[in-house]
Amino acid sequence: MKRHATLLAAVVACLAGTVASARAESSALQIPQRDDEIVERLPAHVGDAAERRAARAAERAQRDALARHPDELGLALQAAHDALARGRLRGDPRELGVAEAAVAPWWSQPEPPPGVRLVRATVRQSQHEFAAALVDLDALLAAPAPLALRAQAELTRSAVQQVLGRYAEAEAGCRRLAGPDYAGLGAGVRLSGLACLAELASLQGRADAAAATLARLAGAPDAGSPATLAGAPAPAWLELMRAELAQRRGDPAAGALFAAALAGNPDVYTRCAYADWLLEERRAAEAVALLKGHEDADPVLLRLALAYRQLHGARHPLTVAATTTLGERFDAALLRGDRSHGREQSRYELDLRANARAALALARSNWAVQREPADALALVRCAHAARRDEAAAPVWAFLRESGGRDARLAAGGPAAAPFVPVAAAAAAPLAGSPS
Amino acid sequence: MIRRLVAVLLVAASACAHAHKASDAYLALEVDGAAVEARVDIALRDLDRDLDLDADADDRLSWKEVRTRWPAIAALAREGIRLAADGRACHARDDDEPPALATHSDGRYAVLRLHWDCPAPISHLAVDYRLFARTDPTHRGIARVGRQGAATASQLAVLSPGAGAHRFTLPAAAVATSTASPAPVPVPADVPDAAPSAAAAAPADDAPAAFAGFVREGVHHILIGYDHILFLLSLLLPAVWIRERAPRGAAAWRPAADLRGALANVFKVVTAFTVAHSITLGLSVFDVVDPPSRWIESLIAASVVLAALNNLWPVIAEARWKLTFVFGLVHGFGFASALKDAGLAQGALVAPLVGFNLGVEIGQLCIVALVLPLAWSLRGTRTYRGAFAGGSLAIAAVAALWFVQRAFDLRLIAG
Repeated sequence: MKRHATLLAAVVACLAGTVASARAESSALQIPQRDDEIVERLPAHVGDAAERRAARAAERAQRDALARHPDELGLALQAAHDALARGRLRGDPRELGVAEAAVAPWWSQPEPPPGVRLVRATVRQSQHEFAAALVDLDALLAAPAPLALRAQAELTRSAVQQVLGRYAEAEAGCRRLAGPDYAGLGAGVRLSGLACLAELASLQGRADAAAATLARLAGAPDAGSPATLAGAPAPAWLELMRAELAQRRGDPAAGALFAAALAGNPDVYTRCAYADWLLEERRAAEAVALLKGHEDADPVLLRLALAYRQLHGARHPLTVAATTTLGERFDAALLRGDRSHGREQSRYELDLRANARAALALARSNWAVQREPADALALVRCAHAARRDEAAAPVWAFLRESGGRDARLAAGGPAAAPFVPVAAAAAAPLAGSPS
Repeated sequence: MIRRLVAVLLVAASACAHAHKASDAYLALEVDGAAVEARVDIALRDLDRDLDLDADADDRLSWKEVRTRWPAIAALAREGIRLAADGRACHARDDDEPPALATHSDGRYAVLRLHWDCPAPISHLAVDYRLFARTDPTHRGIARVGRQGAATASQLAVLSPGAGAHRFTLPAAAVATSTASPAPVPVPADVPDAAPSAAAAAPADDAPAAFAGFVREGVHHILIGYDHILFLLSLLLPAVWIRERAPRGAAAWRPAADLRGALANVFKVVTAFTVAHSITLGLSVFDVVDPPSRWIESLIAASVVLAALNNLWPVIAEARWKLTFVFGLVHGFGFASALKDAGLAQGALVAPLVGFNLGVEIGQLCIVALVLPLAWSLRGTRTYRGAFAGGSLAIAAVAALWFVQRAFDLRLIAG
């Protein structure tokens, strides 16, 4: 009886300790004890301390100038473009709001100046309002506008059409960019047009030829490379395009291409795309090194959670912590009525929560909005894991029609073995492109 | 220009690159008669943009940089949130609480306590939200409004800065206020009765489906949770035996003669487990206590070790339900974290709690239904004796490994 009591007492003491420490943690209000305690990291500026200070000062100066002269169009457009560039680098949607605020005096006009229209279209397509973005882009290209602005609009429109799976329309735009209309803008615009055509070809079953074209455009030393770019390193976006194509073809050269793209442009998109490839190759440790420190952006946090899971398992505290935070962010997005994260959220449900049914619902509604290879992959994987392969039929129909092929889909397609245990399918984060 | 052109191509191609948590502020407004008390959480990152908090421009905010600018932060909040009750403006009082912070999923937030005095007891509250209207129109205020101490759930709304006032109609106060309050004056025409947010409407729409979903989560959780299964198994294995003290004094296990006694044993154990884990599950879900999951996961592993060892070297042989009750408390916290992972909408706690718990019980009964008949029919055999000793030892060993890896954050085996 005495031992009995001792055991109970030990357990109760243990529980009491747990509860006490829980109290300390759950008090939501925090009052730091020391003045020099760092309470928040702000989005970092690049460069050494002096450069960072200068960049921040320039941002402040620009904001102050705009506050004094909110009606100065040139100033407003510059501020909007800078905000969009920061947003791309950091993946922070606040910058979309800052861009919108910069051009606020014109934002709601039915016929704003062309520059504002382009900003508005860019913001809207970043918020997945593709139809609204296309309205502005169509209008921009239907009326007279400076040539450089038209070229941007053409390119953005083609990109939106590509996301929507309207390849013929996208191709028409890219062809114009590569043609005589925009020749006055120099070889760079032509390069964009040609690369864009090659990517579209790759999505329609001509992947090998497209890969060769992109390699040539990237300045592989042969006669075909554009004269003006000869000798210069290939732009980062072109390396990224090649990397993603190599990934779809199952070509191991993807790794080096992703690395080159990231070196040229360390933005959130490129980082996540590279991480996805590393996860597919089951090189989670490298993915962690790539992602750590950038987890402010949800797509980075998602991949970090997947990498921890691959490395340490689902119940490891690192995996659990990353998954929980990610869930909280999705909850917050839901609370504000934002449903534009379908691709990512379906992956979160499938690969981190093993909730195939919820994942499938998200992947389906996402496929109704956008049709990139990653969206196709998401729907096929989720349908398979939920044992509802028929739900992926729209993807296969789309691919049959467009001629698209993706090495990553081969494993989950109707041709593959009919039975894969749900748990196994869910446990192997095949990973799509970043979302 | 070319560079920008290329950049635009990239942004379009990566349509979701902006999938980062957007800028939100959280407002909790409590109406008490003619007064309104509010807690407002605003992201330091947003405040820095408007107020340049980062005085030394090192891309980091120290507590001093935040604390010393608190009056400016409070002024910005008061300026950005204007209240009117039944058509008449409310007067904001100074924030007398000390500066404080809170952590949300995307970083630190300043926590402000604001107070308003309105001309008369409030039945309609109009919130004119303008925070960051001029610097980030995509910002939103997630507002909950309710009467202080009211049993009725608070109302949720998503406020867009500069979109005009959002009008909340409060349920009648418990105390009659008709003598004190003047006839409600209509709020100005620019007040849109914003549609209820999708998030707020969703739970009511598919409540039965959601409930079934939580039941399934509960069953799923116990059936994939090897630690819970092994715990139950350790307790069920000896249920078909009774502990008897031999004449010489040494106690030994002997097969039970009557099924009713064995069933009663099982019933007590299962009930104790259920009651105990329901208590802590409830406490945790209602945020009365919220122990860190590493502690809980470690303690769960420890409970399995102890339950299994108790079979081999019984400390508590007769009244195993007491042991079960104590350990069940720990397992309840484990269930709670699984339930929270399953995505609890705030405000709708009871249905998920009941559904999930029901699911756990169903899963638990499945295990009992599977193990008990087998154990009963084999209870007299050597095989069972061997399986009992070997099984308990194996369970204790596996759980001990779990304990070590959970407590010390190592990776040894699966689970």
